Amino acid sequence: MKRGLRLNGFIAGLALCVPAHSFAAEALTTNQPGDSLSFVDLETLKATSEIKIGGKPAGIALSPDKTLAYVTAPDGKELIEVDVVTRSVKRRLKLGDGPLGVAAHPAKPEVYVADWYTHKIAVVDATALVSVAEIPVGQSPSGLAVTPDGALLLSADRDSDQVSVVDLASRKVIATVAVGKRPFGVTIDASGKTAYSANVASDDVSVIDIATRKVTATIKSGHRPYAVALAAGRGFVTGQYSGTIDVFDATTLQPVKAIDACDHPEGIEADASGSTIYAACWGDNIVLKIDAKSLQILARVKVGDGPRAFGKFLR
Amino acid sequence: MFKRLALAVALLGLVPAVASAHGPSRQKVTETIEINAPAEKVWAVIGNFQDMSWHPAFVKTEGTGANDPASATRKLTLASGGTIDEKLNKYDAAGKSMSYEITNVDVKVVPVTNYTATLGVSGTGDKSTVEWKSAFYRGYVNNDPPPELSDEAAVAAITGVFKSGLAALKAKIETPAK
Repeated sequence: MKRGLRLNGFIAGLALCVPAHSFAAEALTTNQPGDSLSFVDLETLKATSEIKIGGKPAGIALSPDKTLAYVTAPDGKELIEVDVVTRSVKRRLKLGDGPLGVAAHPAKPEVYVADWYTHKIAVVDATALVSVAEIPVGQSPSGLAVTPDGALLLSADRDSDQVSVVDLASRKVIATVAVGKRPFGVTIDASGKTAYSANVASDDVSVIDIATRKVTATIKSGHRPYAVALAAGRGFVTGQYSGTIDVFDATTLQPVKAIDACDHPEGIEADASGSTIYAACWGDNIVLKIDAKSLQILARVKVGDGPRAFGKFLR
Repeated sequence: MFKRLALAVALLGLVPAVASAHGPSRQKVTETIEINAPAEKVWAVIGNFQDMSWHPAFVKTEGTGANDPASATRKLTLASGGTIDEKLNKYDAAGKSMSYEITNVDVKVVPVTNYTATLGVSGTGDKSTVEWKSAFYRGYVNNDPPPELSDEAAVAAITGVFKSGLAALKAKIETPAK
């Protein structure tokens, strides 16, 4: 046991030395009813620890070097900074009325937090951990994503049926894109050219061309889609009510398969290798490991109660 | 051009949204009960989406689409006269499990929103376990809910419906017909 812990510390230490785009070694799940954060070792496929967070955590983002996690607690109305190497809460920041979606800048210490009730995005200086600006967007902003070059922030404004495009230099909304009904998660591809919103009430995914700010296609999904992940030239959409992960071809935009997954699959992300998908299952308290090519479920890992993992949760 | 569009959108944003947001945290209620009867016998009672007569809280089930997840819907009527509209999402006869959602209910009738549930039975021999699990948000969609529309009220209401229903189901199946 002791040796295991020391070994983990050693591996975590190594992670500091390698570039941020190394192979994902850990999944961090925000367990909302469980009030905790679970750490899953992706080599052994076991939860190695679960730490108390409080405030019903939901959203998660990681610092550019992936040593810090930023967790939102919509009940506690806080942004919580977690040192993921020592696995401890570092600092807490009271923020707004319903902090939910969260994204980190890819290079600098800046974190963006969407507020479900005040309809604004807070810009948080992650060094001082203070809110330095607020950007008004549409109603009930949910998922957030930053383009790989750090220039634009996209916000899925759930109850305005739109995605706001924010210029991060001026901290202003420069465009809004009408999408399907009640967009929740938003994901940007590696090239930074295309974004995908999972539209909860219309059971589909809007494909957005970021440069022209236009929806170029709409893809049917499972029931109550939550978020989208991209790997192996495919999109993977978690369907909360259908209990499916619906796979589409990212080139032809045609459906490939509906994977019978679990009860309420939610947060979903591809690892850095691009060959594996991980998804959190809120109802079953597990993390699924899925082969992005064969579409087989490779593992089910038990975590804390009610994992949501809304955001980027792999490191 | 862009500016005018942005302004129009900003103005639209001022119109209050129809109640569609929800509380900050989804709630989870799971109840189980052991029944001294084979799972097949229990499923024969609970496995028809169009018949909730085994639950004493509901005085009427009306619906269409039988047990077909593509089309099945039902309207449950409570003794108080309140109604709940539901839609079947999954039906697994072999696995003895069904999943459904509430499509329309007044929060004064049941203080929940965005409600889904799964009802199923498993077992070996003459013993079975019924599991009823649900996911939902509280009745009040904004912060600072009144007590009757709080997370606690929502959990208490669903827990009450599940417990009373499962107890009645057990009694119905285990008590020999007179």
